[in-house]
Amino acid sequence: MVTSVRPTPVRLKKGLRGWLTALPFILPGLVLVTAFVLYPLLFTVRIALSDYQIVLGKITFLGLDNFRKVLSGGSRFWYAYRNNFLYALVTVPFILLGGMLFAYLINGLKKGQSIFRVGFYLPVITSWVIVSLVFQYMFNNSNRGLINYILVDVLHILDDYVPWLLREWSGNAAIWLMGIWKNLGWAMLIYLAALQGIPKDRYEAAELDGAGLWAKFWHITIPSLRPTTFYVMVNMIIGSFNVFIQVMMLTGGNPNGKTSTLQYLLYDKAFNQFQFGEASAIGMISAVTIVVLTVVLNRVFRLDNVDQEG
Amino acid sequence: MKSKKRSEILGQALLWVLLIGALLVFSVPFLFMISNSFEEFSYVLPYPPKLLPTRLDFSAYKHILDMDIFPVAVRNSIVNTCLTVVLSVFVSTLSAYGFARVPFPGREKLFGIYLFTLMMPGFLNIIPQFLILKGIRLPGLPNGLVGTRAGLILIYVATNVCGHTFFLRNFFRSLPDSLSESVIVDGGGHGTIFFRIMLPLSTPAIGTMTIFAFQGFWEEYFTAKVLVGADETMITFPLLLQRLNGQHATRWEWVFAASILALIPVVVLFLLFQRKMVVGGLTQGAVKG
Amino acid sequence: MKKHFSKWMALVLALTMLCLCLGACGEPDTPVTDPAASTGKPTDKPADTTGSTQPSSEPITITFWHTYGDSEEAQFRDVVLPLWEKVHPDIHVEAVRQDSSQYHQMIVTSFGTGMSPDVARVDIANIAAYAKQGGLAALSDYADFAELSGNYLEAPLSTNLYQGKYYGLPLDTNCKAAVVNTNVLKSLGLDEVPATMEAFIEAAKARGTYSLNVSGVGDWDMYPYFWLFGGELTDDGFTKATGYLDSDKSIAAMEKIVALHNDKVLTIRDVDGSVDAWDGINSEYAMFFEGPWYFGSYEDCTAKGIVAATIPTYEGRSASVVGGEDIAVFATSKYPEAAYEFAKFMTSEEVQLAMLEAGQLPILKSLVDSEAVQNNPVWSVYMRQMESAKARIPSPNNSAIQEIWSEMVTGIFVDGADVAQSLHDAAAKIDEQLR
Repeated sequence: MVTSVRPTPVRLKKGLRGWLTALPFILPGLVLVTAFVLYPLLFTVRIALSDYQIVLGKITFLGLDNFRKVLSGGSRFWYAYRNNFLYALVTVPFILLGGMLFAYLINGLKKGQSIFRVGFYLPVITSWVIVSLVFQYMFNNSNRGLINYILVDVLHILDDYVPWLLREWSGNAAIWLMGIWKNLGWAMLIYLAALQGIPKDRYEAAELDGAGLWAKFWHITIPSLRPTTFYVMVNMIIGSFNVFIQVMMLTGGNPNGKTSTLQYLLYDKAFNQFQFGEASAIGMISAVTIVVLTVVLNRVFRLDNVDQEG
Repeated sequence: MKSKKRSEILGQALLWVLLIGALLVFSVPFLFMISNSFEEFSYVLPYPPKLLPTRLDFSAYKHILDMDIFPVAVRNSIVNTCLTVVLSVFVSTLSAYGFARVPFPGREKLFGIYLFTLMMPGFLNIIPQFLILKGIRLPGLPNGLVGTRAGLILIYVATNVCGHTFFLRNFFRSLPDSLSESVIVDGGGHGTIFFRIMLPLSTPAIGTMTIFAFQGFWEEYFTAKVLVGADETMITFPLLLQRLNGQHATRWEWVFAASILALIPVVVLFLLFQRKMVVGGLTQGAVKG
Repeated sequence: MKKHFSKWMALVLALTMLCLCLGACGEPDTPVTDPAASTGKPTDKPADTTGSTQPSSEPITITFWHTYGDSEEAQFRDVVLPLWEKVHPDIHVEAVRQDSSQYHQMIVTSFGTGMSPDVARVDIANIAAYAKQGGLAALSDYADFAELSGNYLEAPLSTNLYQGKYYGLPLDTNCKAAVVNTNVLKSLGLDEVPATMEAFIEAAKARGTYSLNVSGVGDWDMYPYFWLFGGELTDDGFTKATGYLDSDKSIAAMEKIVALHNDKVLTIRDVDGSVDAWDGINSEYAMFFEGPWYFGSYEDCTAKGIVAATIPTYEGRSASVVGGEDIAVFATSKYPEAAYEFAKFMTSEEVQLAMLEAGQLPILKSLVDSEAVQNNPVWSVYMRQMESAKARIPSPNNSAIQEIWSEMVTGIFVDGADVAQSLHDAAAKIDEQLR
């Protein structure tokens, strides 16, 4: 009894002092986040559990009805959910490996590193909308699309023009390709910084032991890049569940929602069909999925030793 | 010795060949965009598709530059983006320091909430955000901050606090404790540590974030459309770009020309700062699970 | 690790609890979340009364959203607005141009935020959905509406109907008519635009390449063909699709389209990946159906041998689909009378003629035979085609119905699904949406 009561005022006082010290730093951000991020988030959660009549602003509590409707309301949700996972499964390995490879190659250059750094990074700084427009026209059907023209008219690899963006798998492939092209430079830049942070003496020590190029890459470079890889991977997976503009501009989810994603479905439900409840439910399913994925990945990578508890 | 030098030159040459080849493949979409901005489409795409420019005709660029709203859009975009970046960096740097260096109860939980918000899709937030802005009643503004530059910037800053704090917090945590300890020995507080030590040391990280942020705000469309879209004098460049999409048909050369014009400031900024960019600290701390 | 996970769980739980509380507390405690409250209806009431009871005493401003393009906007700003200001100096109209691509989403968002315009140009396909949400004012409640509505063309007016009331006035109209390349026709052995589809098909069959282009599988692209070949969607009251969409006539119509597709007479761009109609009409296609804006986009049509024509008849009937825009007054408007006044003004003969100059086809019966329409080789064709043009199903669930239709057509043409079965299934699904 005595021991549990005595420290409380002290801890409280210490906690209060901690808050008072921290407030000048975190308050401006906290106020903004509470008003414009947390409050809307709670609003979304509430809408997910309610029927929301948008013009009247009437919100009627429903329970889990919206979730039930989303999960049992036909194949569109499942196609979208599947496509988010597929997008992550396909693009993330390419982005990781490609980013690492190009970073490694660039890092090996004695001169001219910045040319390639800028060159590979250009797609990252180009807006999604612009990039989508270009891809839309590269993958255009008939012989007006660049890809069709090259494959059929120039190289004669295919006999017939492919309506890329109008079919389930080629449409998805175009979305994936764009994702890889757009994000690879970002991974490259981060890996490059990480590579340059690996102490030189580690390589020198290995060289004295007679390690070759490959052995050095495998035993020193790869392990040193583990936290970086995790960071890039988590970012890219979160990104995979935010795929939206590509879908809207390239395929519109066609044919029949088979190239859709959760974000696009959410947008369609809310702004085209006035189903704000179902849209919010989709948003929550997406968020929970990302949280679970992050937790699982963290476990797989066993990064608790890196992740210092504050 | 000589053979080692030769193999090194050979190795460098091989690297150059590989990288140039990869870069060429990577630039195809850009080449395509530039070549087609010189064409005249009359609403349909040319056959054969043009990857390399067949002519140098700047009339599409001229059309964009001659638009009445072009200078307005550019000015608004620059003003909005710069103000947002400055404010956003200021608020996020303070927050990040608080979360990285000042111990207070519930800190990790609060930060966990910040991280969680990054995973929620942002689309649906627009209606409650809008209502809050409208609720901020100020004299002379019947609709609160809706339709004002201040309102737009406020939302931009607020929605990026979490991400930017996450980015910078890891950097602050990677700096050695010994630096701040010396200040404490001299009787200084967190304010001194922040302004005297942390800020100067973190300029590269802040610079990097500034570039990321600049690009994000520069291309933002949806919020700007909803918030200030009703006011012609508040039009931004992404809104202008969207306006080039006709109801029934689109002149693609205009869209491509405008896209390239929009790309210029971001590329220039990146070229200027890319040597100084660091991403070091941010990879050291993992996302908390 | 366990600790981390439980922390996340606690967080998620805490958030859920919080929102449950919010949900339970209900409206009164969260005034900001309630748009109706924050549009300030009660507080704005005084302004309302001063605005509507003493219209001439104090100048008021109403907001008008539109999606006019450059030339239409110029005509509106330079000709139409000055006219309005002369008649109503006390009502200032603030015209806001919106992008057509995200317009619907803008209006939906404005419903949520209570910042809708007073009056807006709205796609005919969206009126019913907005009305169902309670976003629009019923204009048929005004005393002069009955008299006024007699002036409008039947089909455009009907697009404003929702549950027995009219929620807008027709503003401009269009439909699909045939865009024909006479040079390609000649190569098919036809010296002039054929009057019947039978003749066209006969000539095109032998060619071996597509002569007719349908852009997509959606309602706007497919309905004209479906109707032309005898298909039907619902009963006249738009209450039921079963028995109509899957009737023998409808099955025959869809099978006809499939047969034409197999015979390479007709291509669906979004199915076959064929060349876009606007492009292919210059050299490959003999004909496609399109709105009048095709001719507005090209001044050199006639020189290229491309002309407008009414859609050739099949078994003696012609068919087309109605497009265009209505003008609607929003429920949240503080000055509904002024907004309605402006809507009426926009449908007046003078304004309709002014906007016709920018290619906006009129909705007034009185202008169908006017010189301005009849002297123009394109507009006259479209106005004639309007006689056989039908509106799409006016339902608030229009977007869901579109989805069902596209899904069915995709199934038939891409996956080779059975026509009768597909129509039957789609009819059942549309029934649910019409209920």
